[in-house]
Parts: sequence; structure tokens; C-alpha cells
Amino acid sequence: MAEETTTLRVARYRPERGPEAYVDEFDVPYREDMVVLDALNYIKDDLDGSLTYRWSCRMGVCGSCGMMVNGVPRLTCSTFLREFHPKPVVVEPLENFPVIRDLVVDITDFLEKLREVKPWVIREEEKRVEDGEYLQTPEEIDRYKQFSMCINCMLCYSACPVYAQDPEFLGPAAIALARRYSLDSRDQGRSQRDEVLGVDTGIWDCTFVGECSVVCPKDVDPAAAIQRTKVDTTTRGMLAAVWPFQGRT
Amino acid sequence: MWWLRTKAYRRFAAREATSLFAAAFSLVLLLFLFGLSRGRQAYEGFLRWLERPGTVVLSAVILAAILYHAGTWFRLTSHILVVRLGRLVVPRKVVISGLVALWLLVSGLVLQLYARF
Repeated sequence: MAEETTTLRVARYRPERGPEAYVDEFDVPYREDMVVLDALNYIKDDLDGSLTYRWSCRMGVCGSCGMMVNGVPRLTCSTFLREFHPKPVVVEPLENFPVIRDLVVDITDFLEKLREVKPWVIREEEKRVEDGEYLQTPEEIDRYKQFSMCINCMLCYSACPVYAQDPEFLGPAAIALARRYSLDSRDQGRSQRDEVLGVDTGIWDCTFVGECSVVCPKDVDPAAAIQRTKVDTTTRGMLAAVWPFQGRT
Repeated sequence: MWWLRTKAYRRFAAREATSLFAAAFSLVLLLFLFGLSRGRQAYEGFLRWLERPGTVVLSAVILAAILYHAGTWFRLTSHILVVRLGRLVVPRKVVISGLVALWLLVSGLVLQLYARF
């Protein structure tokens, strides 16, 4: 009996061949437990070694292998071929990012935005090592844990129509990570981050389409992070207007 | 026309577009107030306009659109509103049910007021 195969239509772009992207079709052996990334690796190893794409952990942790699979941003390491088989699978580079080669996109813009929100614990003054750790209660961890699950895979940027229209938009993951640190009881840098978040290209650019949360492979719910930050900053602004004597953090 | 591209984007567009019907209902309310302020004849004219078949159809469309729009916001609010009981986060479905129950309760009270006068 002939081996069962499935078809992958892979978007190709090789700048040395010309400015146009094109599609290559590959038939790969099909098994029920194969993911899209397995099929790409098969192509690379056995059919066309020039195919270029990013991947690393193949277990949904590193966030490298995000691509458009049949028009939806997905981690290819956790998207099974059986979801589409026997129909062909269309694999394209993540939308809303410039393509460098084949399925590899330029992530510079995201990395710069990430740096802008200072995704680390900011202290006004560091404790001395001999003074011990910064302790947290389980309740304090609960406040930010969901947002700390972000793996920077950028699927949310690819799903966001606001980012597609306005590349200046800070974007879902950067805002979710800003919230992750601002909610951390050890952090004292919220006002620094609010300066980046509270502008037109920050939280207020978001129209709450909500697709970032739908495609997020780690259930971070960046759309919720953005809306809750809108509520928090507005509440703080209103309180400051009627009661200007409160301590600012 | 990006908002027509996917089903999710179309749902978003429907949510935003139906908000216009809330504005339309405000206009009807304004017409009511204008009629009321300009005396009995104008007010009765407004009531007659309300009873015309075209206006009844318009009111039904406005009602349907506002109900849809309100429904979308119950769902969205459950993303924004986090209700914690100790370390337990109340599930989103429970939050939505609570909001709908509150809405029905308030609507019931308004209906009762209407029946009384």
C-alpha cells in the first residue's frame, strides 16, 4: 500500500531570486501525530534544503515557530496536520511583519517595543543581598501570573488589525508584559511604564477586537490586559483629579 | 475593508456598527422630549408618528440591534472584570450570568414602574 501523504503549500520568498513571493507545493508523508513543524522539517531534510524558517524547542515554549497556518497565526509545533488532512495545509510567514526570507519575518519592531515597556522589575533602591529576598504571597503572584506566561511568539501582533493599520501601535504582547511587571508587588516602575502605555499609540489605540487573545497559545489574554490597564489608568487619573494628595507610585 | 476579511473581524464590525442604533434610540428620545416641550398637539403628533408602521419597524430594528450590542458587551466585560474570592477567580461564565441577571432585574423593575403609571 502506498504511503499516505498530505500536501503543504509553502510561501517562499528569496530576495536573490526577485521581489515576488511564490508558493511551492510539497507532498510529505502523513502520520496522525505529525505537527506542521514536523512536515516543514521533513521538507528541509528530504525535499528542499533551502526552505528557511525559525524553530527551536518544538514544545510550545520558545515562541519561535509562529506562522500563518491556513490563514491563522499558529505555533507550528502545536498545530497537528490531522486538523486539516486530507485538505492541503497553507503555510505562510506571520502577517504584519516584513519578510526576510521564506517563512522568517523581521521581528526588530517587536523587540524595540518590548524594550520600551521595560519588562523587568524596577526598584527605586535595590536591597542589599544580605537583607534577603523580595518575598511574595501566592495572592501577589496570582495578580500577574497569567501575563507572565507570554512567550513572545508574536502571534497576537499578527492577529491584530490595529497593528496592521498602525504599525506605531505598541501592540498586545508588549502591553500585557508591561502589565505583568506593573502588577508585581516587587516592582516600583509603574509610572515609568504608564508614560509609554498612556499615549495614543499605547493602550488607547486598541479597539478591543480581541483576536490577540483568541490566537494566544498560552492563554495570556492580552486584550484583557489592555482593557484593564485602560480602566486602571482612568481610575487613577480621576482619583488624582478629585483627591490630589495621594501618594504617587 | 479589513473588517470584512475574517469572521472574527466581521463580528467586531457588527458590534461597533450596532452602537449606532443606540444613538438612533437617543434621537427618538430627543424627539419625544421636543414634542413634550412644545405642547399637547406636538406631543400627540409624536405619538402618532410612533404608531406608524414604518416607525414600528424602525423601533423593532433598533431594539434588535441594541440587544445584540448589549450582549457583546456582557461578553467583553467578563474579560475586563476580574472577580476574586480569596485565591479563586470567579469563572467568566458566572460573571456573564451575574451581569445578565442584574440586567433582567433592572429591566423588571423598570417594567413594573411602567405598569404602575
